[in-house]
Amino acid sequence: MKEKLQDRKPVAGIILGSGLGKLADEIENPLVIPYGEIPGFPVSTAIGHKGNFIVGLLSGKMVIAMQGRIHFYEGYGMSMATMPVRVMVLLGIKHLFVSNAAGGTNLDYHVGDLMIIRDHINLLPNPLIGPNLDEFGPRFPDMTRPYDPALIRMAEEIAAQKGIVLQKGVYVAISGPSYETPAEYRYFRSIGADAVGMSTTPEVIVARHSSIPVFGMSVITDVAHATDDEDYVTDGEAIVKAADAAADKMTTLIKEMLVRL
Amino acid sequence: MNPKIQKIKDIVEVLESRIGDFKPEIGIVLGSGLGSLADSIESPVVVPYKDLPGFPVSTAVGHKGNFIAGTLSGKRVLAMQGRIHFYEGYGMDMVVLPIRVMLMAGIKYLFVSNAAGGTNLGFHVGDLMIIKDHINLLPNPLIGPNIDEIGPRFPDMTRPYDPALIRLAESLADEMGIKLQKGVYVGGTGPSYETPAEYKYFRHIGGDAVGMSTIPEVIVARHAGVPVFGMSVITNEAHDDYAEDYVNDGQDVVEAANAAAAKMTALIGRMIEKL
Repeated sequence: MKEKLQDRKPVAGIILGSGLGKLADEIENPLVIPYGEIPGFPVSTAIGHKGNFIVGLLSGKMVIAMQGRIHFYEGYGMSMATMPVRVMVLLGIKHLFVSNAAGGTNLDYHVGDLMIIRDHINLLPNPLIGPNLDEFGPRFPDMTRPYDPALIRMAEEIAAQKGIVLQKGVYVAISGPSYETPAEYRYFRSIGADAVGMSTTPEVIVARHSSIPVFGMSVITDVAHATDDEDYVTDGEAIVKAADAAADKMTTLIKEMLVRL
Repeated sequence: MNPKIQKIKDIVEVLESRIGDFKPEIGIVLGSGLGSLADSIESPVVVPYKDLPGFPVSTAVGHKGNFIAGTLSGKRVLAMQGRIHFYEGYGMDMVVLPIRVMLMAGIKYLFVSNAAGGTNLGFHVGDLMIIKDHINLLPNPLIGPNIDEIGPRFPDMTRPYDPALIRLAESLADEMGIKLQKGVYVGGTGPSYETPAEYKYFRHIGGDAVGMSTIPEVIVARHAGVPVFGMSVITNEAHDDYAEDYVNDGQDVVEAANAAAAKMTALIGRMIEKL
């Protein structure tokens, strides 16, 4: 990676989840490195059509973006699912931005809402199980502040200035790949979750292992309250439309955050 | 013979070759920072885990890796100084192997201790908690073909922690002026500590304390019908709001556990005397 990057020194890592894909198009002078060209990485065909690191300038900052993440539900072990984050840590990132699409378990959430992740509940296997990598961090890393309070304040300030309405909540991560049943939605709500998804927390735990400040955001693409109705059907088109609109707002927000870092 | 049983037998044979004609009555698992109880064991014979065939070496902060055979309060005890944790990357078979060795060596009671984070908002660092029940969020150690020689396919878990031993602890603590909490222990994998949202979740489902061990050992002991007494030292407190300068590190945990160790050592010593 360092050979390919040469004098490009990324200061921020960005994991482009569902919804943030457009941000990749705004990276200037991009250097694209397919995962398939990196030794030990899963081949890109196994993780869908997108599997690239993109390194370039965004808001005047050198960033490294992951276009396509590696999910546990694809059958990869946790060390594989979090390897891209370890790589970004070794390349010297000072901040990590993570995004995802999530189901809203909070009854007040609507499709298209943007949620700042203020905390999480990890119901996936812990990525740090196994001998500790002392080069990265301690055996028992603290998780008191998985998401950086200063970055959260900055996002809220920018959102207020730009008239972007944000939710703020707790993300619960499960393995998937089957979606949640109505009973599971109720369970997650009852344990304190506002949104549910199949990624992100392993990446955050690994970044926090190395004390990298993290900012996380979910696009709410589905909501819990309708799923109990007998005639409930997921309106795919409406979801895509709402998610797209939300993604534009998230792109604006994250670009402005990068300016201020 | 079941290869798992053969493996345990091989270990017990080596262990017995070192401790001689010593039939332990009581097994004790010494958790984080509670190793000082080991110093109270008289005429100790120390057998390092590394001397036992197929035995893993414990890697956790503050953990040694030894069996100690000796006398405590006049009873023959076999203590584990340092346990095997799932977060170290070992499979559950390995995590519970020392317990199965103690069971085969003939223990009639198992005492387990650990350091745990208090999810109960009324708990404070340095509190001692009798484990009255648990919620297992770790993989179940009995998954796989059942070892019929040890216990049934579907072991009962109605009384994971022996009510008579709990009553004994409470009455002795009362006499000794030791204040005890009593609660439910949640076992997660770790090794990262809990987030505030996870603390709240564990509290919501009925957990009073959370840790990364103990339950697999208890399940395996109960599989064999051995009565268990469990105790947690509370080494961390839950807060609804964490101050910006709040820090949580392994060294604090070890120190808090050490401070409470004396009380627990005294209590367990008296309990063993009464058995």
